[in-house]
Amino acid sequence: MAVQSWSDVLKSSKKTALIHDGKRKIHYLFTDGKEMAEEYDLKTDELIVRKWRHKSTLGVQGSWLLEVGESLAGPVASLESDMIKENSSNPVFMRKDTKTSFQWRIRNLSYPKDVFSVSLDHSERCIIIKTSNKKYYKKFNIPDLDRSQLPLDDSALSFTHANNTLIVSYKKPEEILTFEQELLKELKKLKGSAEGDVDCKTQ
Amino acid sequence: MISLLLIQMATTKVPEVRDITRIERIGAHSHIRGLGLDDALEPRQVSQGMVGQLASRRAAGVILEMIKDGHIAGRAVLIAGQPGTGKTAIAMGIAQSLGPDTPFTALAGSEIFSLEMSKTEALSQAFRKAIGVRIKEETEIIEGEVVEIQIDRPATGTGAKVGKLTLKTTEMETIYDLGNKMIDSLSKEKVQAGDVITIDKATGKITKLGRSFTRARDYDAMGAQTQFVQCPEGELQKRKEVVHTVSLHEIDVINSRTQGFLALFSGDTGEIKSEVREQINAKVCEWREEGKAEIIPGVLFIDEVHMLDMECFSFLNRALESDLSPVLIMATNRGITRIRGTNYQSPHGIPIDLLDRLLIIATSPYTEKETKQILKIRCEEEDVELSEEAHTVLTRIGMETSLRYAIQLISTAGLVCRKRKGTEVQVEDIKRVYSLFLDEARSSQYMKEYQDSFLFNETQTAAMDTS
Repeated sequence: MAVQSWSDVLKSSKKTALIHDGKRKIHYLFTDGKEMAEEYDLKTDELIVRKWRHKSTLGVQGSWLLEVGESLAGPVASLESDMIKENSSNPVFMRKDTKTSFQWRIRNLSYPKDVFSVSLDHSERCIIIKTSNKKYYKKFNIPDLDRSQLPLDDSALSFTHANNTLIVSYKKPEEILTFEQELLKELKKLKGSAEGDVDCKTQ
Repeated sequence: MISLLLIQMATTKVPEVRDITRIERIGAHSHIRGLGLDDALEPRQVSQGMVGQLASRRAAGVILEMIKDGHIAGRAVLIAGQPGTGKTAIAMGIAQSLGPDTPFTALAGSEIFSLEMSKTEALSQAFRKAIGVRIKEETEIIEGEVVEIQIDRPATGTGAKVGKLTLKTTEMETIYDLGNKMIDSLSKEKVQAGDVITIDKATGKITKLGRSFTRARDYDAMGAQTQFVQCPEGELQKRKEVVHTVSLHEIDVINSRTQGFLALFSGDTGEIKSEVREQINAKVCEWREEGKAEIIPGVLFIDEVHMLDMECFSFLNRALESDLSPVLIMATNRGITRIRGTNYQSPHGIPIDLLDRLLIIATSPYTEKETKQILKIRCEEEDVELSEEAHTVLTRIGMETSLRYAIQLISTAGLVCRKRKGTEVQVEDIKRVYSLFLDEARSSQYMKEYQDSFLFNETQTAAMDTS
């Protein structure tokens, strides 16, 4: 398969839009069976949630994996409590972008700022967060840059620590900014179904 | 009133912590651990729980090699012989020698007759359960060194247990909340602080990799086989490719389920559409060509095969021709009898065209020496000690009545012996149970003598249809 640019992949996908709850919700169904769902704030046009779901090789439907946004840990979690899950006192990792930068927040990290070190690994194209007290370690990539095949830039990375939260920011490059604006324009053209309950097909 | 409460409290015992290590019950064939062949496929007289039947065991060994090679599909074998000559034992022996990775599906001929599913559907499901697909899949695992396990049992003894598990790598540390199932499997694996473990997040399977090197100097009693491993690096949660074997039937079920919330209400699988099966077949072939998956043809064992009817036999004829077909092993104890669903007589109750495709292994009745040997093995399996005379008497009973009846007497005689506080079963105990329980021949005799006094004896003329 020839390397297809991300915008072409997006264009070829089947999109469904819905305006609900003050959010513009878009569902993408890609040709390879993967699904992506995005939610944008209607007023500020900020990306609130982006999540992925795909089937495993055997055909089992996976659960939604969040790329951007906060998971809604609700009563569903207690259903699976037979197994293992992370304690609530552990650091919580989430991504929440701003207009100009990708941003990751790790809550529940009560160590002083000088414990943390954040660096870029160019060979693996990821950001690494380390702690000198060996309590927290995280390796993650920037899917947006990977999809558009853009290089990583050391100077774009910065981090702050306040209120038990470590905030890592990476300034969005020019290409991403223009791409996101174009995408948003396209998405606004999509006819979203009217606000309110959508007719749900029952069997 | 208060004293009564106190007594009550004293009597509510703390329930015993039950051992979760697997307890196996002793079944009719639990003493069989293999076919008892040497490397040259020559049968040993007594080995792996098998006694005698040398010719049929050698034949089964050849079939076993064919299955292990995995190249030949759609062969069928029939094991024929009188009742109690070890037909099922040979099939079990094959299953045991194949190991856990080759699928072995066993069913009895009567199992396929169900009102919820057609006969052929039940047969196709059985066929597809006997074909394994070894495939790579990515799963999320947690890998780290155990820092601390803390399990709280509620003071009342009942209710959910709560637990916490702290795991670390060289770079980080995380606390996990444990569910009930997880606590059980952790205590079953006897995981303790200092062990390096992996947990499959989806299935909850725990694997102990060894003990951490940092604990090598602990003054702990350790077995010689304790392995020391490095504490893992990097993140605790990783995505790893694992190879596992699933049966075609399992893939069918996954892909035929009603999607969405309706799946909650459809617990049973019901019939699987043939389109789904065709799709899966095509996909599996594609995977095989791409090198992503490997097909492992297994064994389908149908016991009491004479219980199948004409439609099933013609289905088998057709199914054996498919290249995605397992090796079929059937067993029957019938001679020339009516084929179910027709008025034709045929050997073993199997139509001639199917018989023509079969390799037939015959089993012969056991000799006295072999019977004695089998009874000895069963005594060991059932933990009953037998005196030499009692053993001889039991062997005589086995020869004159049936092997199964003699085996039944072992545990009953053992019980009688224990009740009189004896340690070894004597001839008296055998005599006692022999008089208490009738064997088949004596029971028939008794019936002939006293049938007039039984209820409904007026219907005695109606012949019983057993075929």
